[in-house]
Amino acid sequence: MADEDPIWEDAPDSPSSSSFFDRDRHIRFLEMMYQLLPSPYQSQEINRLTLAYFVVAGLDILYALDRIDKEAVIHWVLSLQAHPKNEVELNNGQFYGFHGSRSSQYHLTDDRVAIPNGSHLASTYCALAILKTVGYNLSLVDFKSLSRSMRNLQQPDGSFMPIHIGAETDLRFVFCAAAICSMLKNWSGMDREKAKDYIISCQSYDGGFGLIPGSESHGGATYCAVASLQLMGFIDKDILSKNASSCTINVPLLLYWSLQRQAQDGGFQGRTNKPADTCYAFWVGGVLRILGADKFIDEGGLRGFLLTCQSEYGGFSKFPGSLPDLYHSYYGFCAFSLLKERDLNALCVELGITAIAAIGL
Amino acid sequence: MDREAPDQRPPIPISKRTEWADVTPIPQDDGPNPVVAIAYTDEFRETMDYFRAVYLADERSPRALQLTTEAIHLNAGNYTVWQFRRLILDTLCVDLHEELDFVGLLARDNTKNYQIWHHRRWVAEKLGTNATSNELQFTEEIFSEDAKNYHAWSHRQWVLQALGGWEDELAYCDKLLQEDIFNNSAWNQRYFVVTKSPVLGGLEAMRDSEVAYAVKAILAKPENESPWRYLRGLYKDEVQSLVKDPRVASVCLDVLMNKRDCVHALNMVLDLLINGYQPSKTLENSIDALCLDSGLSNSGLTERVCSVLQVVDPIRANYWKWRKSGVTVEGSNGKELAG
Repeated sequence: MADEDPIWEDAPDSPSSSSFFDRDRHIRFLEMMYQLLPSPYQSQEINRLTLAYFVVAGLDILYALDRIDKEAVIHWVLSLQAHPKNEVELNNGQFYGFHGSRSSQYHLTDDRVAIPNGSHLASTYCALAILKTVGYNLSLVDFKSLSRSMRNLQQPDGSFMPIHIGAETDLRFVFCAAAICSMLKNWSGMDREKAKDYIISCQSYDGGFGLIPGSESHGGATYCAVASLQLMGFIDKDILSKNASSCTINVPLLLYWSLQRQAQDGGFQGRTNKPADTCYAFWVGGVLRILGADKFIDEGGLRGFLLTCQSEYGGFSKFPGSLPDLYHSYYGFCAFSLLKERDLNALCVELGITAIAAIGL
Repeated sequence: MDREAPDQRPPIPISKRTEWADVTPIPQDDGPNPVVAIAYTDEFRETMDYFRAVYLADERSPRALQLTTEAIHLNAGNYTVWQFRRLILDTLCVDLHEELDFVGLLARDNTKNYQIWHHRRWVAEKLGTNATSNELQFTEEIFSEDAKNYHAWSHRQWVLQALGGWEDELAYCDKLLQEDIFNNSAWNQRYFVVTKSPVLGGLEAMRDSEVAYAVKAILAKPENESPWRYLRGLYKDEVQSLVKDPRVASVCLDVLMNKRDCVHALNMVLDLLINGYQPSKTLENSIDALCLDSGLSNSGLTERVCSVLQVVDPIRANYWKWRKSGVTVEGSNGKELAG
């Protein structure tokens, strides 16, 4: 951090520096993205539902859901769901959730080849989060085959694969599974005790969580761990004041690690001795909120850092002065919501959507 | 195959290539009212249209393999393309060493893509222990550019656990830490090796020398959080042993006497005190020397440590204040939230 180029700090007319959260500009930015994503996003085409989640849930945080056609969104999201043809197919070991985009979804007109369905846990989480955000009644989703087939993805160690054809297993997909079960109000899709054991095995010697056992503590992984535990009901409301031994994870070490991630420039870093980055204001800030410890954040410092990452085009960038992207924009909005910015919807931190969407009003 | 770097792809559109004349591309059906449509480039659209055609025909041929190469260069996160590529590799019995070369080139340009690393693991798993040294070396090449690459570290830990190669790992961690003592990934790897390596005898056997290693690093750069957390981690579930190890209190005292960058030292002292450590007069004096407010001298040492932390670590002032209140409330029992 010490050897970072300080040029942007000296530029008085730096376009990214602003003294206030520019809500109108952010809404215009998301509206533009809703209409058409520029071609650099094609490399993320497979995760189009995730990109849509950033736009739709982002507009909800900004109190601007009226800018989109909710019926069109519902129709499009539902069109990406995978359905088993019959009971036999439901038991074939595949996962019947949502496809991330058309390029993993194939409809066969004849029975030449059995193309496996490519539905994915992260896409399924994003699909349900969008549907909840636009007020769709999730009891209308075919949750039985979704929940039942999701069990195929849980591994003997409690972790989850995101897709039945095989991929890396880590805490991200434990979180997706827990959020899916929570939104569907149906936990038959996962073994919570096993998932909890896996999460515990990911807590590192310094108190944070790595994505897999043995990995370095990381802000995103720590969010996945703590949010999952919260969703599964393993975190007591007043966890900070309780004796450490009553909890399954080491809370004092976790609290200290999380607070240490606020760097001298006010922003949150994802790992020890790394530069601060917009998104960790949510990942780590969210952990602190769940623990009831967000009162310990230096809010003025954090706000100041985030504003240096606010783009003149709307949206937020990863680092001060660089170009904005959807991912960092969304978590920038989330961070300002945590900071109780005026005219922003409050968050349900553990689900990654607004509190209103989570309640289902 | 696959020798070309991504920016040297043949400029000829697939539809103009004779070897593809017999294939009818299948356009993407986005349906009515698509949300967040993407402005695809012509090259992207055409490549994926042809991919759809070979995928639906389940064509496992050399040209289909080449097509997946092109699709992956445009879209390395597409797991459907990767999965189909693996089917083709299996069917054609392709030399997997060539595949490693291809993944190696891709990973160097695209070091933060999960699918590439998953694919590399799939190949290495098939090659078995023959791949061990090559895979360790590959991650070292990645670390020479980015010593904190999370994917490469995960891959390396997997290689060690699945294929072996632990012998020189502690020395490698030391090398990286000598290059950059602030590299927390290397500290984490060191902890991984010390606790998991089958050739070192485990944490118990290693603790003594590792405490010495951490202390040396702390004295060199007391502001470096990593070795402090490492030292604490060596006694993760044995806090009483931490309290009893005289080197821990001693390194704190050394740092405090120099009155510089003392947040981590003070936090460690706090940890010791709430776990029953009986401070020496020298340690107490060194804390008092940091107390700017002489009115504090009447409170207990633990509270004084928290007060100093409130001043020297203003970002977390509310936290230290809360810690102090916990000490006050529960101090008579000698127990607070044990770290």
